[in-house]
Amino acid sequence: MTPARPTGEPRWLRWLLITVALAFLALNLALPLAAVFVEGLRKGVAAYAAAITTPDAISALKLTLTVAAIAVPLNIVIGLAASWAIAKFDFRFKSVLVTLIDLPFSVSPVVSGLIYVLLFGLQGWFGAALRDQDIQIIFAVPGLVLATIFITFPFVARELIPLMEEQGREEEEAALSLGASGLNTFWHVTLPNVRWGLLYGVLLCNARAMGEFGAVSVVSGHIRGRTNTLPLHIEILYNEYNFAAAFAVASLLAGLALVTLVLKSLLEWRFAGQLAGRGH
Amino acid sequence: MSVTASAVTKRFGAFTALDGISLEAREGEFLALLGPSGSGKTTLLRILAGLEFPDSGSISIGGVDMSESPARDRQVGFVFQQYALFRHMTVADNIGFGLTVRPRKTRPPRAEIDRRVAELLELVQLPALGGRYPAQLSGGQRQRVALARALAVEPRLLLLDEPFGALDAKVRKDLRRWLRAVHDRTGLTSIFVTHDQEEALDLADRVVVMDHGRIEQIDTPEQVWERPASAFVCDFLGGANRVMAQAVGGTIDIAGVRLPNRAPAMPDGPASAFIRPHEFALAEPGAAGIAVVLRRCLRTGAQAALETETRDGSVIEVTIAAPPEGLAPGAALVLVPQTVRAYPA
Repeated sequence: MTPARPTGEPRWLRWLLITVALAFLALNLALPLAAVFVEGLRKGVAAYAAAITTPDAISALKLTLTVAAIAVPLNIVIGLAASWAIAKFDFRFKSVLVTLIDLPFSVSPVVSGLIYVLLFGLQGWFGAALRDQDIQIIFAVPGLVLATIFITFPFVARELIPLMEEQGREEEEAALSLGASGLNTFWHVTLPNVRWGLLYGVLLCNARAMGEFGAVSVVSGHIRGRTNTLPLHIEILYNEYNFAAAFAVASLLAGLALVTLVLKSLLEWRFAGQLAGRGH
Repeated sequence: MSVTASAVTKRFGAFTALDGISLEAREGEFLALLGPSGSGKTTLLRILAGLEFPDSGSISIGGVDMSESPARDRQVGFVFQQYALFRHMTVADNIGFGLTVRPRKTRPPRAEIDRRVAELLELVQLPALGGRYPAQLSGGQRQRVALARALAVEPRLLLLDEPFGALDAKVRKDLRRWLRAVHDRTGLTSIFVTHDQEEALDLADRVVVMDHGRIEQIDTPEQVWERPASAFVCDFLGGANRVMAQAVGGTIDIAGVRLPNRAPAMPDGPASAFIRPHEFALAEPGAAGIAVVLRRCLRTGAQAALETETRDGSVIEVTIAAPPEGLAPGAALVLVPQTVRAYPA
C-alpha cells in the first residue's frame, strides 16, 4: 500500500493514533464531564433547580462572580503593565521579574493561601494592625480576592510577554516619530496589536479565577452564605453526602467553564487567522 | 532643513557605538551613512531621530538645539528597516496616522486628512491600495507605504534606516532611482544608512564613511571613490587588491614599479597599496612588476577576468580590456600596476 502523500503515514497508523487520542479524551474528559451533568440531574429537574437556587448556592455564585469581577480586571492592568515593561524595556533584574511572574504557577495553591493568612491573619504580621483598624481580610472577601489575584496573575502576562517581545518596539517608535503621545501610542498601536492575545489570557484568567479551590479554601473560612465560593460550596455539599446537589452546583461551575472554553476556541480560530495573515 | 551633530558620543555598556561624531547635512542634501555593521551608523540615525539620546554632544535641526527633545517633538520622518507599519491598520490609516493623532487643536479635518493620504498614495504610486493591510503588500510596496507615512506629517528631515536592505536585487535598484526622484521633488534633507557602497555612491550627494563609531571620510561619491581617505575606506569600497609596497620620496614602489600616490600623501616607509582590478597592465616574465601565475581566466565578451596568484600565495584579481590570445591557467605573467592608492601599513 502506498501513502497518498510523500509525507503521509499508512492509513492504519493514522487511524490507530486518532483512535487512541479520542479514546483517551473520551475516557478522561468527556465521560467525567457528562457524569457531572448526569449525576446532577439524577433526582430530576426539580431537584436540580432546587439545588442551584438555595440561598447558599446563589450566594456562592454571586461571590464567585464578584471575586472574578474584581480579580480579572486588576490582573489585566497589572499583567499589561508587567508584560509591557518586560517586553519593551531593558532594565536590571528583568529576569528576576520574569521568574516572579511564574511563581504562582510553581507553588502549591495551598501555600499561596497560607502566605496571606501569615500576612493578614489575626496571628499574622499585619494582623494586629488590621484588627485595630477594624479591617478584615482573611475569612472575608478581600482575602478571597487577594488569593485569586495571586493565583491567576501569570495568565495575562504569560500570554502577552512572548507576543510583545516578538512584535518588538519598532511600531511604537514609528508612532512616536510621527508625533503620537505615549497614551496615543498605547491605545492605537500597542493594545490593538495584542488584543487577541490579551482576550485569550483574560479568558484563561477568568476560568481559573472562578474555579480556584486550594488557595481560596485556606483564606475563606468556609462561612456559609458569606465566604463560600462555588468550588467551596460544592465541597461542603459533597462532604455532607448531598451528592445530587453537589453535582448540580458542579454542573453550574462546569457550565461556566464550558462557556469560557467555547469563547476561547472562537478566539483561537480568529487569532490564528490574524497570525497567519501577517506574512512575516 | 540643515542638521548638525556635534561631538556625539554614545556607549552601550562597554561598547562605544559613537565616538565623538560631528557632521552636518546641508539644506536639501541627500546624505549616506556608509559602514559595516557595528560601525554606529544606525545608532547615529536613531539619535538624530530622538529614538536614542547621546551620552554627550549635541544635535541641532535648522539651527535649533534639539538634543533634549523626544522623538515626537522633532518633526523628523523615520523609515525603519523592517518598515514597522501598523499591522492592524489599512495602508490609508497607516499613512494618515501622524495627522490623526494630533491634538484636536492642530488636527486637520477628516476630509483634509483623506485628501493628503490620497495625494501621498499617488506620490508613492500605490493609488489603488489604500484599503489593503500591510500583510497583503510586497516588500517594495511596504517600503513605499512607510515612506508615505513618514512624509505625511511634513517632516523637516527624512531619515531612512537601510531603506533597501530587505528587498531583492531587482526591486532594490528600481526603488533606489525612485527614492532619488522623490527626494529631488520634495527637496527634503534626507539621511540614509546603508552597508552597500554601490548604493551609497549611486544615490547620495555626499557619503559619510563610518567605522567603529568614528567618521573615516565625508565627501562626494566621486571623491570617496577616487581619493579614499584611509586604508579602511579604500578596502571597504571593495574590489581592490591589497599588496605590500614602499613609500619612497612621495612615490610608491611596488615590486620595482614606481607610481605617484593617488591617496593623500604619506610619509616614507612600508605601505599598504590598493590596486583595483582594472588598474593593471600585463607584461612578459622578466619585466618590472608583480610576478604571478594565472589560476583562472574568465572571458566575458571583449573583457577577461583573471585570477592570479603571487609567489607568497595571495590572490590578485585583474580585469583586462583586451586580453592577449592563448592565456591558459598555469601561465607565468607580470602585473604592472598603472594606478595606486597607498596608506601607511
